[in-house]
Amino acid sequence: MGLNKTAKAALLATSAGLLPLAAAAEQTVLDLWTIDDPGEYHYVLAKEFEEANPGIKINVRTVQFGDMINDLARAIAAGDAPDVTYVDNPEVALLAARGLLLDIAPMIEDSDIVNRDDIFPGPLSSVTWKDGIYGLPRGANTIALYYNADMFRAAGLDPDAPPATWAELKAAAEALSDPDDNVYGLAFSAIATEEGTFQFLPWLQMAGGDYDHVDTEGGAEALAFWKSLLDAKLASPDTLIRSQWDSTATFNAGNAAMAISGPWELPRMAKEATFDYRAAMLPVPEAGATRASALGEGDNVILASTNHPAEAFRFLEFLYAQMPRVWNEFGYLPAAEVAVENPENEAIYRVFEESMKYARNRGPSPEWPQVSKAIQGAMQSALTGQATPEEALATAQGKIDRVLD
Amino acid sequence: MPALSLPRSFRPGLTLGGLIDGRGFDTLLVMTALGYLAVFSAWPLVYNLIMSLQEVDLFSLASFDRPFVGLGNYRDVLGAPEMPQIFRNTAVFVAASVSLQLAIGFALALFFELRFPGASFLRGLFLAGWIMPPLVVGAIWSWILAGDFGVLNYALKSLGIIDENIFWLSDPARSLWSVIIANIWLGVPFNLILLSVGLAGIPEDLYEAAEMDGATRVQRFFTITLPLMRAQLGAVISLGTIFTLQQFDLFAGLTQGGPSNSSNVMQYWSWQLSFQEYQIGLGSVISVLMIGVVVGLAAIYVRSTRHEQVY
Repeated sequence: MGLNKTAKAALLATSAGLLPLAAAAEQTVLDLWTIDDPGEYHYVLAKEFEEANPGIKINVRTVQFGDMINDLARAIAAGDAPDVTYVDNPEVALLAARGLLLDIAPMIEDSDIVNRDDIFPGPLSSVTWKDGIYGLPRGANTIALYYNADMFRAAGLDPDAPPATWAELKAAAEALSDPDDNVYGLAFSAIATEEGTFQFLPWLQMAGGDYDHVDTEGGAEALAFWKSLLDAKLASPDTLIRSQWDSTATFNAGNAAMAISGPWELPRMAKEATFDYRAAMLPVPEAGATRASALGEGDNVILASTNHPAEAFRFLEFLYAQMPRVWNEFGYLPAAEVAVENPENEAIYRVFEESMKYARNRGPSPEWPQVSKAIQGAMQSALTGQATPEEALATAQGKIDRVLD
Repeated sequence: MPALSLPRSFRPGLTLGGLIDGRGFDTLLVMTALGYLAVFSAWPLVYNLIMSLQEVDLFSLASFDRPFVGLGNYRDVLGAPEMPQIFRNTAVFVAASVSLQLAIGFALALFFELRFPGASFLRGLFLAGWIMPPLVVGAIWSWILAGDFGVLNYALKSLGIIDENIFWLSDPARSLWSVIIANIWLGVPFNLILLSVGLAGIPEDLYEAAEMDGATRVQRFFTITLPLMRAQLGAVISLGTIFTLQQFDLFAGLTQGGPSNSSNVMQYWSWQLSFQEYQIGLGSVISVLMIGVVVGLAAIYVRSTRHEQVY
């Protein structure tokens, strides 16, 4: 088909005596949607790709993170969807289950660049739906416990032995909290948005539960533990309405001694935090318990409606091959087994790198937003005391069962 | 008005001539208006009603071939465990916002009627709130009302009124009232201006005559001002209620309906269902119910403006 088109274009061009046009007509144009701004990942790499592949031009368009699915749905309905787009990882299943994404599993089989066994289980699960693979992770992120080592010393805690279990976390928060000086022990986010689910899910998973199985004894313990932090004012009541970014701002400002958040905080922390900050893996229910961590960041996917699947996949391969660069240049963790040379913030990088091994996908479910909303509802109704953790999780389980069956 | 005198060659028969100066032109104008209403008002309403009877997600928005669920969506919405709370919140939000906006707006309008030096300038300043985008207003109020580092808490603490921070936005007992406070501030200018216009329309001699007859200020208010303001009050109350039912940005900017739906209202819930959970059928149900309420209010508004008098 491509050849045919080229031949026709060349014929037309010669007959009209407009030879230079022939070169332009040979160029394939791929539309790429991203949540990045110019200067970030997709803009930088699209340019590099164009330089390496003169026959392919990439049109990059920025879409707001929160609008991506709405805009995609509109574009698909109108028949002008992009060829390649970025989607947040729980939304791959949403699109794939509706037949809107291209299954690239056969292309990966033949690829010299992508080896599916290299991709970490969490990110691989995020692009998998049924038997197909519908995208490639561009990177990943996860959450860990940041702590202010100076405050640890001042409170007589050992900054080299950060809290490793929930009980130790609470004890440390108690020792570090100083209401007279406006210092909370811990900052995290239990907001009623996807971010809240993102923060809570690992706690549920560590305690023996998952997105489809929330009404567990461990889940109630996890929720009760969060509630005990809020009730004792070890974390601000505003935890209920504050995003991760805003919560961590209080850590940077010295108003919280510990914070749970991801690597995206590091550039700002380097500027704002005037103390010795470090990171540790998320504490577990008790020593030796299963670890879990959140899986963030998103995937590059090809729309099923594309006219240029081969070129689009070549672009995906190119992006995937840049995985060793993502930490230092763009601030994500690699989503696959790659060697990162001279990582910046090395000590913190190692913590996140280790946490990545336990990062679990949210879902997959084609109705993820509804599942997520049910989890947020349980979280908030228990934390505000409207329901006990057990009741709240039972209600959520009822909703989730209805969504999933 | 004389008909346009076009050269004969430009008036081919009845059609064009009729269009310009005859009945045809009237018909055209009416049809344009009706067509506009049909496409941009009636059709969305009908479409919304259809969607409320179907199972719709984002990806089936453009096609009609969607599972018909009849009143199932209505059962789901009305039977949802959060429904009673959200309904109550909406009622409180509307009643408190409208009544306090009206009371403060009316008081200010009467105050500025006193025509002291700088009155019109100060009245103009009150419009500031009205011309600011609600999303910006939301952001500013969220700084004022923030719990740990909010301006209001700082002020109250400095004045010695409170010892501990009040969590205006994250305390379930207060979050709705925080949005109401911001909404009152946002709505007062509208009430002030509309009621000022009404007050200015009451002839001065009525008051003078009443004063000569020995009526007190309070008597004059209840026997002259209030009855003559009936139409304006009706308009302000019904429009205020409609605006309040439309208020979305403040919720988005302040509490996102939380924590735990404690400040959630129907309009925000509808948006959450449609555009966060992609259950557009359920979101449409709420829209349909709210349209019913708004149509009722609009009827009251239309009736009250019919009573407007010219002196």
